[in-house]
Amino acid sequence: MKRAFLLLGSLVLFLSLAIAWWMVAQAPKPVSLTPTLTGQPEYCLTCHAELPEISPSHPVKTFGCVICHGGERLALDKNLAHSTMRGGKNPSDLAVVEQSCGGEKCHNGSAAEMRDHIQRVQTSIQSTYAGAIANVRYTFGAQSDLTAREGTYAVADDHITTTTGLPSLDAFAPTKDKNPAILAFAKNCLDCHINATPRDGLAFNRFTGCAACHTPGPLAMDATVPNQKKNLPGVHKLTTAIPYYQCNTCHNRGNYDLRTMSFVERTDQPTDRLHAYYQPIAQFTRCEYTLDCVDCHTRTEAMGDGDIHSNKMEIQYIQCKTCHGTPTQLPLTKTLTDPNDIAFRQAFLNPAVNLKVGDTVLVTEKGEPLWNTRALPDGTYQMLGKVTKQVFPFKLVMGSSCTQTGEDQSSAYCHKCHSVER
Amino acid sequence: MLVLGITGMLEVFYYIPTPENAALSVQTISYLVPFGGLIRNLHFWSAQLLLVVTAVHLVRVVFTGSYAPPRRFNYILGLILFVLAILLDFTGYILRWDQGIQWALVVGTNLIRTIPFIGETLYTLLIGGTQPGAATLIRFYAWHLFGLTLAALILMGWHAFRVRRDGGIALPPPSLRTDHERIHRFELVRREVLAMVFTGAALILLSTFIPAPIAAPIKEISASVSDASAPWFFLWVQQMLKWGDPFLWGVAVPLIILTLLALIPYIFPKPAQPELGCWFPKSNRLAQVALGAIVLWVIILTLLALLPKT
Repeated sequence: MKRAFLLLGSLVLFLSLAIAWWMVAQAPKPVSLTPTLTGQPEYCLTCHAELPEISPSHPVKTFGCVICHGGERLALDKNLAHSTMRGGKNPSDLAVVEQSCGGEKCHNGSAAEMRDHIQRVQTSIQSTYAGAIANVRYTFGAQSDLTAREGTYAVADDHITTTTGLPSLDAFAPTKDKNPAILAFAKNCLDCHINATPRDGLAFNRFTGCAACHTPGPLAMDATVPNQKKNLPGVHKLTTAIPYYQCNTCHNRGNYDLRTMSFVERTDQPTDRLHAYYQPIAQFTRCEYTLDCVDCHTRTEAMGDGDIHSNKMEIQYIQCKTCHGTPTQLPLTKTLTDPNDIAFRQAFLNPAVNLKVGDTVLVTEKGEPLWNTRALPDGTYQMLGKVTKQVFPFKLVMGSSCTQTGEDQSSAYCHKCHSVER
Repeated sequence: MLVLGITGMLEVFYYIPTPENAALSVQTISYLVPFGGLIRNLHFWSAQLLLVVTAVHLVRVVFTGSYAPPRRFNYILGLILFVLAILLDFTGYILRWDQGIQWALVVGTNLIRTIPFIGETLYTLLIGGTQPGAATLIRFYAWHLFGLTLAALILMGWHAFRVRRDGGIALPPPSLRTDHERIHRFELVRREVLAMVFTGAALILLSTFIPAPIAAPIKEISASVSDASAPWFFLWVQQMLKWGDPFLWGVAVPLIILTLLALIPYIFPKPAQPELGCWFPKSNRLAQVALGAIVLWVIILTLLALLPKT
């Protein structure tokens, strides 16, 4: 009897050892990666081997995962490994972007080299939303002019380069104004700056921070389920070839109702590009829906020039004439002679076009190269779609039958004749 | 103890006692070293089990009046061993050096500071500076591996030796005994082996299915009230700390309780000879009530601390 107990005990001990062994054997085999930038092994790929490389500029063998995402590089327990990740799925959220994407060697380098992306984005009108806030506060008597005083967060700029640049903005504090319209604006209308949590629904499928634009269609969605967005696997991609529909996760989504101070989403759900591009009341011409927004609008317009501005007008300056010229002027061009020209870096990031030293590209009035355009030796011009990779030849106003006077050359005037009837 | 010794020695191969590497090396042990997770879990669970078993042993000794002379001295030895076990558990807990231990580290060590006159000196001595850091970790490492372990090993030998010296386990003198049978030494070994085998199996199963706690490395040492979490055996102290004066509730009361425990064989009426080794002898009711009150106190406070915050 006693012997039986001992035998039973031994059996139980042996069994528990076997179970322990089996459980250890069941665990996934750790997959190690030592990225060259950090030199520290990380084991994220044990579970995330399926993820595609985020972009050709961030090869996983060089960067690894932790340098951008944070997290516990050695932990193989999901909760612990993810516990210290920056910004959850999105390390580029402005709250953590400096640790994730910043640093002198990455995206917060010198302004002279145009590597100060984070500094520029944080002061840009798309992040501060200063224009909308200033307009609403002015309209409802909270400030005496349209110069911005408040942004979605407090921000300062100690290096002003333009005449409209402001030294700083305070954080928007609607409760201070005690004005119901301003309070309603704060409650209902702050969904569309770069770091705002997007509204619910398929139409607002974007992340925050850098990824708001550079990660198109971030959440893989099941089109059969309407208005879903949360808790879906993210898309692992960063690109400078930003399609129009990503811009449309904020722009052209509807209108503000100034009486109720609320946002009214557009109700049409167009599937063709002509109607999907702009919302119904907009006036636009053919190139504006065949091209993508980024084909014309430059990095400075989108990400800012490093100064804090009061409204969109101060930073958005691309017009029809930038490419088409006027009845009396050719568009500005520049022949690329310096292999370090920013145009080559931009072309490198989006290898849609083979840009060479000696090529002549169009430039904006501020001197930004439109690297996807060409002034060809035969006197013709063409543009390459950054996203579509399509070639678009285009004509100049000079020599055409256009009779518009020289002073009235902004796009609003062009649309008088050249708008698309829908 | 054997399990603790062996698994502990194995952990030493990978553990790095510096603030930058401690938590990372614990992660390495837990996830990357073959069987490392199992070994760490075994070390953890056997340490927790040791505390429980020691506490139960203490309760049995008092409730059966087994501490009566000539075993008073051995009772004190046992109590010191119990304290050593708690300290070993606490230092081991601190060695994780991750976010899970921050609160206990900062608050626990700050309690020392509240002791009048010698507090600050004692704090500097133990912590090795004005705030917990690299010096603290290496000190706790030395105490855990060497100082406390050595003391515990010596006292354990002495404790067992004194059992023999005091005439085996507590029983009434032969003249008062009705049952004169003694178990054979083979039977004793058999029972002990059986206990070891089943405990071993339980430990292995516990370690396989419930991992020891682990958290992300400490970034900046601080103690915010929101994540107040002492190790389970100090939860009752944590609960008392909510009542106010840290010296009174965090140092004085636990020390008074410890002193009371130590004085049980000396201040309460001696258990009657015929009742030695029997459960709940009438002759030492007072001691039973005193210990019962202490045990109840600790358990209730622990449960209170475990209650979800409202």
